[in-house]
Amino acid sequence: MTTFVHRSPMPGFGLSLGITLSVLSLVVLLPIGALLLKGAAFGPAGIWSVVSTERSLAALFLSFRLALFAALFNLVFGVLLAWVLVRYDFPGRRLIDAAVDLPFALPTAVAGIALTTLYAPTGIFGSLAKEVGWKIAYTQWGILIALIFVGLPFVTRTVQPVIEEIEREVEEASATLGANRAYTLRRVVLPTLTPAALTGFALSLARAVGEYGSVIFIAGNIPLKTEIAPLLIVIRLEEFDYDGAAAIGIAMLVISFAMLLAINIIQVWSRRRISHV
Amino acid sequence: MSSAYPTLTARRFRPVTQEAPLVRVALIAFVILVLVVLLFAPLIAVFVEALAKGWLAAIESLAHPDARSAIWLTLTVAAISVPLNAVFGIAAAWAIAKFDFRGKALLITLIDLPFSVSPVVAGLCMVLLFGANSLMGGWLVAQGFPIVFALPGIVLATMFVTFPFVARELIPVMIEQGRAEEEAALTLGASGWRTFLTVTLPNIRWALLYGVLLCNARAMGEFGAVAVVSGKIRGQTATMPITIEMLYNEYLSVAAFSLAAVLAGLALVTLTLKTLLEWRHADQLAATHRH
Amino acid sequence: MIHIEIDEISKTFGATSALHPVSLAIPSGALVALLGPSGSGKTTLLRILGGLEYPTSGRVLFDGQDATGLTVQERRAGFVFQSYALFRHMTVFENIAYGLRARPRRSRPSNPEIARRVARLLDLIQLPYIGARYPNQLSGGQRQRVALARALAIEPRMLLLDEPFGALDAQVRKELRQGLREIHDTTGLTSIFVTHDQAEAMELADVVVVMSMGRIEQIGKPSEIRARPKTDFVREFISV
Repeated sequence: MTTFVHRSPMPGFGLSLGITLSVLSLVVLLPIGALLLKGAAFGPAGIWSVVSTERSLAALFLSFRLALFAALFNLVFGVLLAWVLVRYDFPGRRLIDAAVDLPFALPTAVAGIALTTLYAPTGIFGSLAKEVGWKIAYTQWGILIALIFVGLPFVTRTVQPVIEEIEREVEEASATLGANRAYTLRRVVLPTLTPAALTGFALSLARAVGEYGSVIFIAGNIPLKTEIAPLLIVIRLEEFDYDGAAAIGIAMLVISFAMLLAINIIQVWSRRRISHV
Repeated sequence: MSSAYPTLTARRFRPVTQEAPLVRVALIAFVILVLVVLLFAPLIAVFVEALAKGWLAAIESLAHPDARSAIWLTLTVAAISVPLNAVFGIAAAWAIAKFDFRGKALLITLIDLPFSVSPVVAGLCMVLLFGANSLMGGWLVAQGFPIVFALPGIVLATMFVTFPFVARELIPVMIEQGRAEEEAALTLGASGWRTFLTVTLPNIRWALLYGVLLCNARAMGEFGAVAVVSGKIRGQTATMPITIEMLYNEYLSVAAFSLAAVLAGLALVTLTLKTLLEWRHADQLAATHRH
Repeated sequence: MIHIEIDEISKTFGATSALHPVSLAIPSGALVALLGPSGSGKTTLLRILGGLEYPTSGRVLFDGQDATGLTVQERRAGFVFQSYALFRHMTVFENIAYGLRARPRRSRPSNPEIARRVARLLDLIQLPYIGARYPNQLSGGQRQRVALARALAIEPRMLLLDEPFGALDAQVRKELRQGLREIHDTTGLTSIFVTHDQAEAMELADVVVVMSMGRIEQIGKPSEIRARPKTDFVREFISV
């Protein structure tokens, strides 16, 4: 026998791996394979001819740009929130800590209509914004808010355990060497948090790029302006233009994976700087 | 004796690992403000809008046949897809945590794959594979077993988007627990199944519950993937989130928000249970001691 | 070289007193051991000297001037932590240069000057070639010496060491004792180290301060303490 699996007295390897691979294939691999096969049939030129239309390009550009902005906001705010939750004690801290996961638990469609109600010109926040001539819902601002909402917990949840593990002595050492608090945070604390924060950033970004439910209500969905890529896929499918839908879908997959790969590389690099083995 | 140095009094002294009190208060206030505007306000808005015309109107709208059929469909989909994903998650965690085999890292990556795929793209994949004009889909429809625009498609799409939840929670927990206990049970003469049921399962039960909880919340709330594969046939393939969309687009605000309030209530229950698990059984969960 | 006076310093944490009022004068240039079992208040006293804790009452005097109100940064006390607290994401070079780079621009040395000073410190700790390494790539003994070099880089007025040999095995411990003595003699800094190991205190220190339960039991040269232990506690503690 080859060394595919190390011999072990434990039973159930064949069964457990069999179930795993069968379900994985049926639910995930075959469907994605069907999309990739479709892409292979078009060839890069075929995909480009669909994607390079003004409307598709605008939708893709909008989706990735706003997802990036939302993930950047969540990166900064998520680290701040994690810091406040771990280091500061204030009434309601535990409640807030628990509530951070709300976007994971609240269905996106529910979040979508609720955010729209609040940020539409007739809503509480929307009318306040209108006073200063700022329109939120049915503009790119609305999309941004929805994307921030769905990605909010990721960075906080990845960074929190790392902050808990920081040794106080390291911060004290920095102070005894003459560094003020801001310098300590910038040079000692933040670099320690970077790998975990990047993990959260990548998760938040991936989530925001593909987000559909919370966005379509608040977006206004005007082609070229507030139409996100997932919505365009849905529209193409409703027109039974499967090729058009598949081309945009493949473009999204490819760009997403390229971005995640890039983040992964940065992460490996920053992690290596922190823990040299 | 006069001091040449600027002095610090006991009241002004703060541990060097803390920010100035003013900074702390400002940060806490800022964080709470953002969370109120972004998290709490939408949650409250759901219930306020649902009850805009009183309790009666809200309850009446939930009793409407379309709403009832949506609730029933969502429960059915969750009742099928969540247990299947739980079984998958346990099997995957068992294989990955208890054995060493080639391609393990790749397998873990593939299990996480659905998290980086848009739900809409997931639905699109299902349509391409099982749709009426695909090879397999066409054959299945001819056999009288359509997948797309029917329950099986909704279940498959839901399973796709909730795929990693249970496995991701169980794998680190089971890796950490190692295989010593199982090996002990086996040497004592227990069968493989008995070992699993009496040794492994009790060790992972809280982590399993945790994963199932998150999987269920996502399954009941999934929108993008289901929107693509369901065909949105009112009373037949419209789940709760899909029905919310249709009602909202028809300006039936109370009806839409009443259904939304049911899902928001479910989200609150999920969060509460999840938090309780984290407080009581933190040592047995992966989520609370990752990294 | 400064001399340090501790004047009726006390410290309570909530309801428990870590230090009853204690007074102590440390002559300039001395190498002093604060010796005692855990919970004797020795680390608290060291942290008060370093400005990491604020005393509940009493004063700290540096060269006769009240220094109680000085912040950690203003004290310029080279502090070596028990865990060394090296910055994991920085090379040894950057660790040692940290205190110089943290200075306000006006008093910050130029980059070549920083490099020169770090090289000199690496020579002092007899590890001239490890500047490019990261803390995880060092042995325990090397880490301790790097922590010492980092503390010395800020040109401290005194050196405070919390169980500097606590995390090392017996063999390395012995070697490094001599190293600390040499560094102390070269720099001439008033140095205070905390230890629970009476052999270490007796061998290394000019003056030993025996502490127990937040009180000072005896102050004296090692030979005096060995010859004339003042209390039963001291007699028992040094006879181990």
